[in-house]
Amino acid sequence: MRRRGGWLLHHAAGLVILFLFLLPIYWIFTASLRQRGLPPPTSIEWWPSPATLDNYPFIFDLLPMARYIRNSLIVAVTAVPITVFVASIAGFAMSQEDDVWRRRLLVASIVLLMVPGASVWLFRFQILRWLGWIDTLWALIAPAFAAGSPLYVLLFFWAYRRIPAEIFEAARLDGASAWWMWWRLARPLVRPTAVTVIILSFVMYWSDFVSPVLYIYRTELYTLPIGLQILKQLDPTNWPLLMAAAAVITLPVLVLFIFLQRSFLSDLSIANLMDQN
Amino acid sequence: MEKTQTQRIQTSKINFKWRLPYKAQMRLFLLPYVLGTIILVVIPAVATVLISFTDYKAVGVPKFVGLQNYIDLLGYGLVRIALRNSAIFLLLAVPLRIFGALALALLLQRKGRMFGVYRAAVYVPTIIPEAAYALLWLWIFNPLYGPLNLFLGLFGIQGPAWLTEPATARLAIVILALFQIGEGFVVLLAGLQSIPRSFYESARVDGANAWQSFWQITLPLLSPWLMVLTFRDLVMSLQNTFAPSFIITYGGPYYATTFAPLLIYEMAFDYFELGLAAALLLLTYVLLGLIVIGIINAVGLGGSADEA
Repeated sequence: MRRRGGWLLHHAAGLVILFLFLLPIYWIFTASLRQRGLPPPTSIEWWPSPATLDNYPFIFDLLPMARYIRNSLIVAVTAVPITVFVASIAGFAMSQEDDVWRRRLLVASIVLLMVPGASVWLFRFQILRWLGWIDTLWALIAPAFAAGSPLYVLLFFWAYRRIPAEIFEAARLDGASAWWMWWRLARPLVRPTAVTVIILSFVMYWSDFVSPVLYIYRTELYTLPIGLQILKQLDPTNWPLLMAAAAVITLPVLVLFIFLQRSFLSDLSIANLMDQN
Repeated sequence: MEKTQTQRIQTSKINFKWRLPYKAQMRLFLLPYVLGTIILVVIPAVATVLISFTDYKAVGVPKFVGLQNYIDLLGYGLVRIALRNSAIFLLLAVPLRIFGALALALLLQRKGRMFGVYRAAVYVPTIIPEAAYALLWLWIFNPLYGPLNLFLGLFGIQGPAWLTEPATARLAIVILALFQIGEGFVVLLAGLQSIPRSFYESARVDGANAWQSFWQITLPLLSPWLMVLTFRDLVMSLQNTFAPSFIITYGGPYYATTFAPLLIYEMAFDYFELGLAAALLLLTYVLLGLIVIGIINAVGLGGSADEA
C-alpha cells in the first residue's frame, strides 16, 4: 500500500515537471495561433479563440522567410556531417593513442570546453577575413572543421574507449588500415553517440545567433535567427506574428529531437567522463 | 559477415603495402580537429590576451600600452555595473541551475517508459533556438497581457513589471536561464548511473534509509561531476546571457541587464575599441577564475581526493 502511494507521488512529480518544461514551447505554438489585430487577452488564454494558422503564410509574405530557411539549412546540412566526421575520427584516434598523448589531448579538450565564446569573437573575425570567408555562409560553417566543439570529440572518445581493445588488436595484426578500422569496425558500434552529436550540433548551427550577427552583412545571406530579429524590429508588439516565426525556427529542432531522443538520452558515453581522470 | 571482413582485411593488405605506419595514420585522423581548433579557437584566444595590453582600434598596428587598458576600465562606471550584474546573475543562476539539474536527475533517474518521457521533456527548453527562446520570454514577461502575469492574476496577485524594472529584469534573465538545464541534467543522470547498484544494496542491508544513502553514497560519488559542471556553468551561463540581453532588453532598463559579454560586444563592434574589449574580457574571466579557486579552497578538492 505504501509502495503504491510512493509510485503515484513519483509520477505526479514527473507530470508536474513535464508540464512545467513543456509550457514554454506550448506558449510559442498557442500564441502563434492567435488572430493578429485582436486586442491582447485580459485573462489567461490556454487556447486562442478563434485559432488560426493565418500568421504563418503572412510572415512568409512579410519577410523572405524561405530564403532565411534555405540559408540556415545550407549551413546546418553542410556543417553537421563535417562536424560528425571530424569529431568521430578525432575521437577514434584519441582512443587509440598511447597513454601520454591521450591524457594530453583529453586535458586540452576539457580546458577548451571552458573557453568562453566571447574570447574568440574578436580575432576569429580576422582569421575568417584572411580566409576570405567573412560575409559568406562559410563563416557560419567554419567551426565544423574544428569538430564544432571539443565536447563532441570527447563524446566520441568515451564511446570508442568502451569497445574492447582486442577487437582492434586482431584487425591490426591482420594489417588493417586505420581508415578501415574506423569505418568498418569502430564507427558502427557508436551509433547512439553519433545521434547525440547530430542532435547537439544541428541545434548549435541552426540556432547560432551570434556568428551571423558578427560575420554576415549581406541581407541575402541572413539566416533564420537574424530573420527573427528583423521581424522583431519591424513589428515589436505583434505577438502572433513573432511567435509564428519563433515556431518556424523551433519546429525543425523539435521534430529532430522527438525522432532521435530515444537514442539521445540512452547514450551514456558521458558516463565515462570521470573514469579517465 | 565474418568472411567478408577477413576478405576486406586481406584486400586492404595487398592494395596498401606502401601506406603510412599505423601511428601516423592516427595522427592524420587528429589533424583536422587539432588544426581547426588551433586556428579557430587557440590563436584567437591567445591574440585576445595579447591585444588586451595594446591600444588597437581594428585598423592599423596595435600599440603596446602595458596595463593602461585595465586602468582605464576601472575608471568606467559601466564596467563596474556590468561586472556587478554578472556577479549577481552568476550567484543566483548557477547554484539554482546545478541544484535544479541534480534534483531533476535524482527524481527522474528511474527506469520506465513514462520516466523516459519526463526526461525528454526536461531537455526540450534547452534545444529551443536562443533567438526564439528570448522572444518567447519577452512575451511571457509582458506585464499587461503576458501569460505569467495573467496566471498570477488568477490568484489575485498583481505581477511585477518584469522587464521594465531593473531588479525584476535581472531576475527575469535568471528565470529564463533556469529552464535550459538539459546539459547538466543529462551529465548528472550519467553520473548517477555510474554509481554501482551494490553500494546502495549494502547500505540498505546496514539499515540506511534513502536520505542517509544520498548523503553517504550519492553526493560524495557525484561531487567530481558537480564540480566540473559548476565550473563549466560559470563560464557558459555568463556567455549565454548575451542573446537574451541583446534581444530582450539590450542591456536596459538603466543598465540592469548589461552583463559583461554585452559590454564586450559593444566595445568591440560598436566602438572598435578592441584592446579595451579584450582587457574587459580578460578581467571578467580572471575574476571568474578567482571564484573557481575560492570554491576549490572552500570545498577542499585536494582533501577529498586524498581520502579517495
